Order: sequence, then C-alpha cells, then structure tokens
Amino acid sequence: MSFPDPIAVFRTEAAELLEQIEAGLLDLNVNLGDKDQVDAVFRGLHTLKGSGAMFGFEALAAFTHHCETAFDRVRKGEVPATHALVTAVLEAKDHMRALVETPAGDHEAMSEALLANLRRAVDGSGDPAAAPAFAGPSQTLFKLRFSLPQNAMANGTNPLPLLDELRDLGTCRIVADRSSIPALDELVPTDLHIAWDVELLTSEPRSAIDDVFIFVMDDMELSVEEIAVAAQAPVVAAPARPATPAVAVETIASAPVTAAAAPASGDGKSAKANENVRVPAERLDELMDRVGELVIAQSRLSQLAGGSGDLTLRAVSEDVERLSGELRDTMMVLRMVPVTHLFSRFRRLVHDLANETGKRIELVTEGETTEVDKSVIERLADPLVHLVRNSCDHGLETADERLASGKTEAGHIHLSARQQAGEVIITIKDDGRGINKDRVRAKAEASGLIAANASLTDQELYQLIFQPGFSTASEVTNLSGRGVGMDVVKRTIDALRGTINVVSRPGEGSEISLAIPLTLAIIDGLLVRVGNGRYVIPLSAVEECLELSVEEDMRSRGRSFISLRDSLVPFLRLRDLFRTGTKPDQFQKVVVISTGSERVGLVVDQIIGDHQTVIKGMSKLHHDVATFSGATILGDGDVALILDVGHLVAEGQQQEAHLRAAG
Amino acid sequence: MNIANQQNEACLRLPENLTVRAIVPVREDMLKFIDAHEAATIELSDDVQVDISFIQIIEAARAYAGTAGKHITLAQPASGALLETLRRSGFLEGMSDDDAKFWLHQGKIQ
Repeated sequence: MSFPDPIAVFRTEAAELLEQIEAGLLDLNVNLGDKDQVDAVFRGLHTLKGSGAMFGFEALAAFTHHCETAFDRVRKGEVPATHALVTAVLEAKDHMRALVETPAGDHEAMSEALLANLRRAVDGSGDPAAAPAFAGPSQTLFKLRFSLPQNAMANGTNPLPLLDELRDLGTCRIVADRSSIPALDELVPTDLHIAWDVELLTSEPRSAIDDVFIFVMDDMELSVEEIAVAAQAPVVAAPARPATPAVAVETIASAPVTAAAAPASGDGKSAKANENVRVPAERLDELMDRVGELVIAQSRLSQLAGGSGDLTLRAVSEDVERLSGELRDTMMVLRMVPVTHLFSRFRRLVHDLANETGKRIELVTEGETTEVDKSVIERLADPLVHLVRNSCDHGLETADERLASGKTEAGHIHLSARQQAGEVIITIKDDGRGINKDRVRAKAEASGLIAANASLTDQELYQLIFQPGFSTASEVTNLSGRGVGMDVVKRTIDALRGTINVVSRPGEGSEISLAIPLTLAIIDGLLVRVGNGRYVIPLSAVEECLELSVEEDMRSRGRSFISLRDSLVPFLRLRDLFRTGTKPDQFQKVVVISTGSERVGLVVDQIIGDHQTVIKGMSKLHHDVATFSGATILGDGDVALILDVGHLVAEGQQQEAHLRAAG
Repeated sequence: MNIANQQNEACLRLPENLTVRAIVPVREDMLKFIDAHEAATIELSDDVQVDISFIQIIEAARAYAGTAGKHITLAQPASGALLETLRRSGFLEGMSDDDAKFWLHQGKIQ
C-alpha cells in the first residue's frame, strides 16, 4: 500500500488556498462590502491555519492566525473592510507562501513587520487578535454529532482545533465515538474514522456552531439538535470522566434542526469532489513519454503490416493504430489545464503595479476556461508577466494624462485567451498611448538594427522591439528590467513554436497577440519527401495541397508565385532550400501553409500522408537551425525533421517583399 | 524505532514524532511487532509529539490485538502531550473501565 507524502499534499493544498485567498482579497478590493468575499477569505485563512498546525508548520499557523482574526472581526462587523486591510493581508499572504515553502527560514522580523502593518490597517494600533466579548442572556443546549471526511487528516484538517473551538463557545462535553475505527491491519493511518457526540450549552447562536465547521461544511456530516433552556440555567463544568452528561439543563422544547452542512448525499457535491484525483505532474510527463514511444512503435507496426500480405496482421495493426490514436487524444486532454491559473496571477500583478505607479488600472480577463497543455502554460508565465508589466508601465498613461486626452481615468488591460485551429491565442491589449513608431525606428537605427530610412512595414517595425539589444533606456523604470526583456519574450515564444503579432494605434493603445501551439508533445503532421529526405509539416498549418507540374514550375521560375483563387502566394522550393542536389519529380506538390493571414507554398517532391508526430527536441548543435523546430522518429526508424512553419512563412513573405520591391 | 526483547516481554519504543506526518511507518512497525509477539508493550518518548492519528492507531492496534488473542499495553500511563490529546479529542469523556485501564493504568490520570 502506498501513501501520499502528507507534507507534499499540504504544500499543494496550501498553494491552492493561497491562490483562493488572493483571488478573494482582490475581489474584495473591488467591492469592499462583499460579505461573501469576506467569508471566503476568512475560510481560506482558517483552513490554512488549521492545516499548517496539523502538519507542523507552526510559524505559518501562528502568523495566519492574526490575519484570520482580523478577518473574523470584519466578518462580525467589528471593523470595516478597507483597502489598507486588503493590501496588508495581500502582503501577509506572500509571507505565508514563504512560511510554507521555507518553514525553517528566518522569518521572524518580516512576520513582526507585517503584523504591525496589519494592526495599523485593522484599527490603528489595536490588537487584531483581540477577541470580541459576546454575552447572551439566554442559553441553548445543542446536541451535535459530526464526522469529518475520511481523508480530512490527509488533507490537513486537524479535528482538535475544531473541538477546541466548540469548547470556546460554552460548556461542552465531547465524547469520541471510536466504533468505526478498523483493526490495525485494515487501517489507513492517515484516514480518519472517529466521530464525535457533543453537548454544548451556549449563549451563542446556532450560526456560531456552523462557523466552527465553516471550512469543512461541504464534505462533513453534521447533525444538530437544538434544545432551548431557561435563561438562568445552571452551568456545571464537565468533569473528566462523567458517567452521564454533566450539563444541567431545563428543557423547554426540543426540535431537531436540519444540519446546515450538506451531507454527502445532499447535492452530490461531496461525491463529485471525490471523483477528482490529484496526480503529480511528472507522472503525466512519464505517461506522455510512454504514449509517444507507443505511437512510434505503432507507426513501425503499421509500416510492417502495410508491406505484408497478412490480412490478420493488418487488422491487428489497424486496431492498434486506432487505440493508440485514442490513447494519445485522451492523454492530451489529461495534460490540458485552463489558463485560469495563469491569468489569476495577473490580477495581483496589476494590483501591485497600480500601487507602484500610482495609476488606476483595471484588468479585464476573458477566456479563462481555454485549455492549454500544462507545459505550455508553465512556459508562458514569464513572457506574459513581462508583457503585462510593459503595458502597465509604458503603455498606460497616468490618470492626468488620460483625462487630458479625453480618456477614462482608469487605464484598462485586457487579457484574453481563445483556441483557434490547434493554437491558443493569448492577447494582451491596453488602451494606453500606443507604441511610438518614430521612437522605435530612431532607436533601431541608432543601435544599428536597421539601416537609416529602411523601408519597413508597421509589423516589421514593431517586431524590432523584440530584438536583442533593443532598449528604450529612457523609459526604463523600476518596474522594467527585472531580468526578462522583450527579446527573452520572443525567444520563449519561438521555443514554443509560437508567433507574436503586434498591433498599435497612436493614442488608442497596443495589442500583442501570442499564437502558441496547444501542445508541445505530439502533433498531427503531414509527411512529405524532398529529394531523398522526409520531413514533417505540422498539419494544423496546412491549408491545402496543389500539384505543380514541370511546365508550371518552369513558367513560374524566377517569380516563385502561384496563383491561388485570384491571389498570389509566394512559394519556396524546399529542394533548393535544403540543397538536395536531386532532380525534381515530374509532378511536384505545393503544400500551402499559413500562420494567421500570411501564407506560403512549400514545393515538395511527394506527399506521403498524415503522420502522428512525436516531437523530439533538436540537439544543442542544431539549436540555431531556424528552418526546423524539432525531429521525429518514423516507423522504419529513420529520423524526419519537423519544419518550422513560422520561419518558413516569414521567409516566404520576405521573398515576396523583395520581389515586389524589385518591381 | 527501537525494539527490545527481554525474556517474554517485548517492548516497542516508538519515535518522538507520532503525528499524521509520520504515522504511516508507525502502523507498519506496530503491525509487524504485534504479529511477532504474544504480548507487546508500547513505550513512548518523554518528548513525544502526538495527534489524533496516533490515538486512532493505538485504538486500531487494540482491536487488532484483541481479535488475534494478543495483548498490548502502554509502558507508562498517558501523561503530558498524550494525555492532553486524549482530553482534547474527547477520549477521556465516557471512557470505559477497559479504556481507562489501558490509557491511564487503573483509571488514574497521572
């Protein structure tokens, strides 16, 4: 039997909790009167504190306790939610992350400073942990029975603080019911099998009991029976081992109360939650590798079966091909994660940038449910951070400047994601001042990136900002220059086989679109032959295939354009580009590929057919070969290079531009 | 985890950390130990850290030993952190005589 590492589980849970807390705080910052968000943040802090204590993260638990208490006071209406409080707890949240990641670090001074800040935010100089004094004239006897979900301990929930909180509500007798604990040989030691029967005499309302269980409500089983008692009922402290309940009460009326906590059977939420399985990312990567190898082996099998007259072998091969295709598709879906997690971090980034720059900035996100391969998401984070920073810092004007130019006081950053033909398009758009083309040109000329008075399209000009060495030093602020430059953004997107498109309108803003393949692992490819070599063209980029006869080839020589439904499309002879030294086939083919609106034809000798392509990286020696984005192993064991569509389209467009310039 | 055998007595000395973070191997060791001996004594460190997972595992061990016709005891009556955890978790309330004998040695809280 294997058990998950509880500490690793806790760290994962804590990271998710911290994300939820941050999201709640940022929502609250928009609407300070949103009680749901106050409750959500409180629950998050409460859970984090309890889980932290459970797993021995004492410093985290102690620190979080103060933030939780501060939010408890907000929840109870004792202090108002303020922007200062939100900011203080956001900063504290970052510190909590450090306490989770490096619990043994020296955090004391930082903790003190942040708590002092929190105290100031809550009530000037008061103690955020100061407990409110509530005293009700009448008391109620509650009889409770509850059990926590079996995986509660493994997920970091410690029952003991819950029981302590119940005791804090009044006079309490708690009896553990151990009847469901299995024998040692059947026990999973991190599972919880204990239930509790509680008699609580309290002046607190029923909602106070619900509050104790507020963060486990959805998954636990709780029944509460409320028995009203006389106002001056004598209260007797519970002895250590009473034979009978020690709470003396005078029962006036008894009425069972439906538990506020939805039991597992209530709405199926609990059952649904249990259907999810948390799997370490590296296991998915391993599985992906195996699927890749299986696809290669299946390709070999198909080739062997195709060359054999054995019909049974062919039938088996077709079955394996179908199954491996389905397995590949299933695997791809498993690796897909929504961009929500990626986008959520920008809410905090924009919040902080607004504070640092003194600008009013509103972030609008769209398409958070768009799914992308997890490895793509991971690698997109840094480039996006830089682009958003750039938009906030350089793109958006100050409030005064915006008002003077007839804009709203608040600048807007629009972050969106959508899928389009095998790619995810992520767009960062702002309504700021736009890119100053003259300034870009001047800097590019000054730094020797382009010749003076060179003829460039707007797109070519904007692409210069991604060139290494291109720097707008006069515009650099403390927000920029934090290690990731625009050239690094470009390199990262290139490495993802993606493209960057920039649109800018003076005074209206800029829009940078990143088009990234949905996956980096396996693609559908079109296998072609050029000379004696075989190559793979990503199928998602293929628009159509045409025949190019020798006569047409001769006619087009010197122009390298084909007429495609009334538009001229430039084409590249891959035979020439790869210097194969072979004669062209009699009936060459043109594979028309595109990236967005730009198209180019690739002349090949033969189209072999579609091919499930397991992408293998190029060696370091071939890292700077721009024409190819990777390699794959074919069914017969040969290696085929994968064409870099973006590079070839750019080359075709360049060829077109030169020919047009030459008249 | 130290195991000491002297004549017919078998004593299993458990590690200091007996919380959910470290409880998985404790179960394995206890199971092996009970299987190997007719009577087992569980010895805890003076500085033991316990949580409810340990109380649960001891209750499970008692049930297992009872079914197998074996006998387990605590070397010392519950005190300190263990007694406090028993109290907080509601195990002291409504304790049967057998329970009190096992955990507290004749029902006296030390």
